[in-house]
Amino acid sequence: MIKRFSAALLAATLAGGPYDITLLPTPSAPAAQGTARLVSAPSPFGIAVSPDGHARYDIVLRITGLPAPSTLGAYHAYVAWAVTPDLKDWTRLGVVSNGDSHVGVAQYNKFLLVVTAEATADPTERGGPTVLHGTSPSGWLQTFLAHPFFRGAPGK
Amino acid sequence: MRNTLALISLTLLAHTAAAQDPGKSVPSAAKQGGSPNIHMLGHVEVHSGAWKAADIEMEQDPNRPYVYVCGFVNFDTKIYDVRDPAHPKLVYTWTIENPELHRGIGAMDGKYFKIGDHYYYAQSLQFMQGSPDANLGAVILDVTGLPDASKVKEVARIYYGTPGGFHNTFAYKHSDGRVLYFATVNQPVALVYDLAKVVSGADSSTWLIGKVPNPTPFKALGAGGYHDFYVGYDPGTHQDKFYGAGLGGYSVFDVTHPETPKQLFTITGFGMDIAHTFTPSPDGHYAVTETEYQYTPLRIWDLTDGQSGKKANLDLAMGAWTADWHDLSHNHEVRWPFVFVSAYEDGLQVFDLKDPKHPKTDGHYFTCLCKHEDGFGGNPDNGWKTATDAPSVEQGAFGVDIRNRDGLVVISDMRTGLWLFKMDGFNGWNGHTYGMPNISSVQDYDHGPEGASTATGSGGH
Repeated sequence: MIKRFSAALLAATLAGGPYDITLLPTPSAPAAQGTARLVSAPSPFGIAVSPDGHARYDIVLRITGLPAPSTLGAYHAYVAWAVTPDLKDWTRLGVVSNGDSHVGVAQYNKFLLVVTAEATADPTERGGPTVLHGTSPSGWLQTFLAHPFFRGAPGK
Repeated sequence: MRNTLALISLTLLAHTAAAQDPGKSVPSAAKQGGSPNIHMLGHVEVHSGAWKAADIEMEQDPNRPYVYVCGFVNFDTKIYDVRDPAHPKLVYTWTIENPELHRGIGAMDGKYFKIGDHYYYAQSLQFMQGSPDANLGAVILDVTGLPDASKVKEVARIYYGTPGGFHNTFAYKHSDGRVLYFATVNQPVALVYDLAKVVSGADSSTWLIGKVPNPTPFKALGAGGYHDFYVGYDPGTHQDKFYGAGLGGYSVFDVTHPETPKQLFTITGFGMDIAHTFTPSPDGHYAVTETEYQYTPLRIWDLTDGQSGKKANLDLAMGAWTADWHDLSHNHEVRWPFVFVSAYEDGLQVFDLKDPKHPKTDGHYFTCLCKHEDGFGGNPDNGWKTATDAPSVEQGAFGVDIRNRDGLVVISDMRTGLWLFKMDGFNGWNGHTYGMPNISSVQDYDHGPEGASTATGSGGH
């Protein structure tokens, strides 16, 4: 079991580029899929950072397959969130739909990008079901010496 | 290139959505049925998806007919009341919060334990780096109030600093009276927790009391963690002994003082780098080991020279057993002279070590009902399905447990869920019947290990 799991993690780690997030569907909207690209937020300098030093990104989502929100319940919009890995802090990024959507600003070192169905376009808290989710590329970075398990195993 | 990758991903996702549940459709060529001496009492699919279960745990006390099925990539635990083995009744389900946001192989191994008058269940968890709860190792439930689901309470979560959680675990009633929890982690050590401290709400920095090093790291892979272990009391030497299987080989430690484990001997050699499971006989004379790759048999060892200190390393097995050399047998439980095996594609298998050099198959029942080499692999995005050029036999019977008081056998099958069996002539197990100490993976939480003069019933310090 170890070998299979390690190989899977390696494959997942290698998916996408350093600014790309693969968006995965959930049972609530199994046909939905998409990608998101991190774009440095506008800045007079070479890179946008927050006062405490976190990179600031706008995000371009390219989504297909989302059903009308109302098909999932009493929902009228899809909203993108930047979420800390412990799921404690949810920052609303903006409304998204099928096609290209520009939202922002995300400014966490590591975060999950989550799209939920919501009753309104501007909820202050996440309330509806998750339809898409992904992990920022920085989320894959850990101390190498701490986890040999994740380096992958020789192929068969 | 990115578009090409995206197209491949979309194709895989579409394929997954359309795929049939392998647990519901039995290929015509699948192995089915069993030997006449193995009686299937009950079966529950547990989950509706392609992957239904990882390991399994069964309580032992007469008034507690509970079986815990680890939900694997479903990220849950399901507790069944099996007082009527033909009709297991689901009495409780625990699930990680926001399961749709988690990624990993999830709920892998479960162990129940008892401290004082309370019964607990520890569910090990494995989530990937980048996923929520990547450093969560286990969730501890107080299950004393079963079958009343409203009385089941989560009492603790064990976190550890490295991502990947705990794969296998072992709950052990130590001869000093403590109830210990051994856990694998993504480092070349096994962690040892004092469970009384964990469930009492003590400062979490005091929970971890020891680490057992792996002396046989698999340097070619750059890894050296343990995969599985057994801990048992040796009444002959009055030592608590740790039998660990890890990347690189097997090792035995004296953990009488778990804060300072002492290495006794190892088993290393050709073909044993991916050491998986290591289970001794009740007296520590013999052992059964598994290595996790296709075509390999379970190996049988005479541990005499290692236990006596004559040899620091053993490298020559005395025997071997396999259900079918095309496949791979997985976990096992030793109830001397019988060995009950969750044999992946070959379901439940039972063999005996009456003559350890010539193990003999006693019975079987096929539970996988699956296509050969269509096992677990891939990644969470394609439903954990392997590529056609990388076939896997890691599917089918994953875990096995035995109820010593009456011989009930339970199997958790990755493809088909929970199974319950009885074997003719096996109506319970006590080592004394076979001239052995009454020592197995089953713990006597009230009295401690047989032969240990210092054992207490308090369950902890």
